[in-house]
Amino acid sequence: MDMVHVEGEMPVNYLYTAGVAGERFLREIKENAKILGIKCRRCNTVHVPPKIYCERCFERLDEWVELTGEGQVEAFTTCHFDHDGSRLAEPDILAAIRLAGANESIVHRIKRAPAEDVHIGMNVKAVFREKKDRVGSILDIDHFKPSAL
Amino acid sequence: MSVRIKGYAGTPLREEDLKQRKVLLVSYWPKAKYIWSAGIAIGRYLTELKSGRIVGRQCNKCGRIVVPPRMFCEWCFRPNDSWVILKDSGVVNTFSISHITADATRIKEPLIPAVIQIDGTTDAGILHLVGETDPKDVRFGMKVQALWKPPEERTGSVTDIKYFKPIER
Repeated sequence: MDMVHVEGEMPVNYLYTAGVAGERFLREIKENAKILGIKCRRCNTVHVPPKIYCERCFERLDEWVELTGEGQVEAFTTCHFDHDGSRLAEPDILAAIRLAGANESIVHRIKRAPAEDVHIGMNVKAVFREKKDRVGSILDIDHFKPSAL
Repeated sequence: MSVRIKGYAGTPLREEDLKQRKVLLVSYWPKAKYIWSAGIAIGRYLTELKSGRIVGRQCNKCGRIVVPPRMFCEWCFRPNDSWVILKDSGVVNTFSISHITADATRIKEPLIPAVIQIDGTTDAGILHLVGETDPKDVRFGMKVQALWKPPEERTGSVTDIKYFKPIER
């Protein structure tokens, strides 16, 4: 006797927006290759990526600051495998980068430095994609390279 | 909204704003495919429906015939024993009058979902629709008969019966 079965697909499409602060942050990266943070008037914390309220003291945030795009590696890891477990041709170095002027780190990719040379405290600088290739994503910053280069 | 709350904080977006990508967004459509196998009892039940028959299973210990069928008797906690071909008539056990469809769309002519207790079984029954009846005439215990779709339209589903219609006795 054949086994009766029913095939189906659950439609679970979702759209995730950047939010009020995220919208401005990403648009500034896209249009002007500039990284913005936002400063809290009460506790002076500079948040990046920017938010519309301060997570530490709940103050509404509206003081946008321009960051230089330079910073220091706060933590990093070297990935040898892809999301699906297949080996990467070249290791992918991901790092938490504390941008100069900010009190929080962003996660991004480090290139043009061999894994053995990457260290905590290493000075790095953002490298942006060509304007025509920027879409309003954190990957419009292509990578961070050692500041010396 | 209430007397004191005049509006909610936030930035409202319209469907059009999203469609036209007026705001930056990420869209993801994960593939949530599934295959659900019917099992032995329901597998046979659906196959028989395609042939225009309603089948149940009988437990020899308590004598109950259950439809839709399962392979065990939940009263006696034992596997049941045999397949039984049932009539396609029964009585309305319970019913509801629905003015909306499954996705909550309003409809003009109401649907009458009902539990039909098939003749020869002693409790519960199958969930289906009562048709060709004025909603105000449906009664508990009303005698009904299945109206089948023509064989070429049947797919091996409970919808191979179009609805149950009242029988005059």
